[in-house]
Amino acid sequence: MRTKKILILVEKDLQKRWAPILKNSSYHIIFKNDPQRAAEEILSSPPELLVLQESLNQVLIWELIKALKNNLNLSFLPILMVLKKENLNKDWFSVPADDFLFEEACGEEILSRIQLAFARAQRSVDNNPLTGLPGNTTILRAIQEKINAEEEVAVAYVDLDHFKPFNDRYGFARGDEILRMVARILSNVVLGRYGAQGFVGHIGGDDFVFICPLKEIEKVCQEIIKDFAALLPNFIDPKDWNRGYFEEKDRQGKKQRFSFPSLSIAVVPLLPGRFKHYGEVSAVAAQIKKMAKGKEGNSFFIDRRRQPYETKNR
Amino acid sequence: MNDTKRKIKKRLRNLQSLPTLPPIVGKLTKLIGDENATAPQIAELIEKDQVLTSKVLRMVNSAFYGFPRRISTVSNAIVLLGFNVIRTLVITASIFETMQSNDLTLWEHSLGVAAASGILAQRLELQNPEEVTTAGLLHDLGKVVIRTEFPDLYQRIVASVREKKIYFLDAEREILGLDHGEIGRLLANQWNLPERLLEPIAYHHQIDKAHKFKKETAIVHFADIVTRAEGYGSGGDPWVPPLTEKAWKLLKLTAEDLKEIIPVFEDRLFELRFFTLEMQNENQKNPHLS
Repeated sequence: MRTKKILILVEKDLQKRWAPILKNSSYHIIFKNDPQRAAEEILSSPPELLVLQESLNQVLIWELIKALKNNLNLSFLPILMVLKKENLNKDWFSVPADDFLFEEACGEEILSRIQLAFARAQRSVDNNPLTGLPGNTTILRAIQEKINAEEEVAVAYVDLDHFKPFNDRYGFARGDEILRMVARILSNVVLGRYGAQGFVGHIGGDDFVFICPLKEIEKVCQEIIKDFAALLPNFIDPKDWNRGYFEEKDRQGKKQRFSFPSLSIAVVPLLPGRFKHYGEVSAVAAQIKKMAKGKEGNSFFIDRRRQPYETKNR
Repeated sequence: MNDTKRKIKKRLRNLQSLPTLPPIVGKLTKLIGDENATAPQIAELIEKDQVLTSKVLRMVNSAFYGFPRRISTVSNAIVLLGFNVIRTLVITASIFETMQSNDLTLWEHSLGVAAASGILAQRLELQNPEEVTTAGLLHDLGKVVIRTEFPDLYQRIVASVREKKIYFLDAEREILGLDHGEIGRLLANQWNLPERLLEPIAYHHQIDKAHKFKKETAIVHFADIVTRAEGYGSGGDPWVPPLTEKAWKLLKLTAEDLKEIIPVFEDRLFELRFFTLEMQNENQKNPHLS
């Protein structure tokens, strides 16, 4: 992995105190002491984390933080502000730093703060803003890790079918809520049963992924479907529920029927040796998704083939 | 408004949590520590306690969960909240510091009313009998509030019931200026419980005040009476109140219906008796609690 570049803009005394410990860390550390000159460099070639000492030049440091945080491309850059204790009270809404530490802090503390800032940044950048679940980068990494570890797990792709007519009928706010409900059911079932052994991610829109031990996949799918079916009536207006489907007029003014949302789960077992790359897993998933979607109502479909992915090309 | 009434309303606004029966919390703690315990098992136990049930429903109906319709059953709530939240809820549940025999009998009474409400709702083919069961379980939540938040007033009500030979409900009105239905209504409102639960809690003694959920309210009213008639648990006084004629008309129950329902109900009470005996034994094993 590439070493992360960290720019630390502080006065000489602090640099002397912090440098020895930071020198031995795995980060690429650059110390600067002159805020005027550093500012331009920061904006033109940003580091991966910034440490700024307020007392160097309060006005400039504040402006710099605001400029960085208002820039869409740089807003994720973690910024730690170094403060004098007597300046602790401030309006953190107008100074949008991510964390602070005091000038008295020792080298170990700043190192820990840096590590924490990176961990937090990773959590929040990739997470889906609607559900808080990990997004694509983390999903792909999780699948690849399971392939490499040759663990017998199942990777399940969950689709919320017929989401669009639901969204059209009740509006996007209720659409968002039903996606959140799916996220909660998946997390509660998979993470509730397997803790850190399980995984749940949100690819985006109405697509989710989870990973669990292969031998229990049927039980898990059944439980998810049961929970979803039990909660769905809370999302459908009684009038529609009693009719059993949505009815909308199409452009010609003809009445059209639409099903209520339902779950389809396409399961790809990761048998040791079957896959080498996560791309192969999603390719197989795309094939079997069609099978799962072909069925009416909530359903799951497990790919029972055992041969290695590429045999047909050999 | 008299002073007592004002004081009660004020206290209700700041009421954060109600204590639960120690044996129930003990059993739940054991169950949650067991790796093989399942969500339905935990739900089944939570559904046996009116305080824990109201807490779970309060949590799931807080602003954090934006449901188009409020959640009214424990099983739905557990699916949404997840195991970890339930575990935290059980671990942090406060318990009665001193338990009185009244506490157990009121709890038994609520269990009986829950069972009867469910059976009636099923018989009358209501859409969601589970919700009506929950309404039955929670119907006397107001009495739990009086007992735990106003122990002195509670003792005065109990004494008044004994000395004047009047209904608990009338003693409440006399001493508090309001009754457990009204207290339950205020609490259910404050905790965002759905109206389908609020109305039976508030109006099971005055069913003509029910507005949207008349049938559910009438069922809980009727269930309250049959449970008292069976002598299962105690609602605070030994008498069986009269059945409101309006409830009878609303439910359109026939003699035939009753003939079939009563044995089913008695069977259910018989099963429940095992559970309540177990709770009583647990309680006696921990003498410092009683």
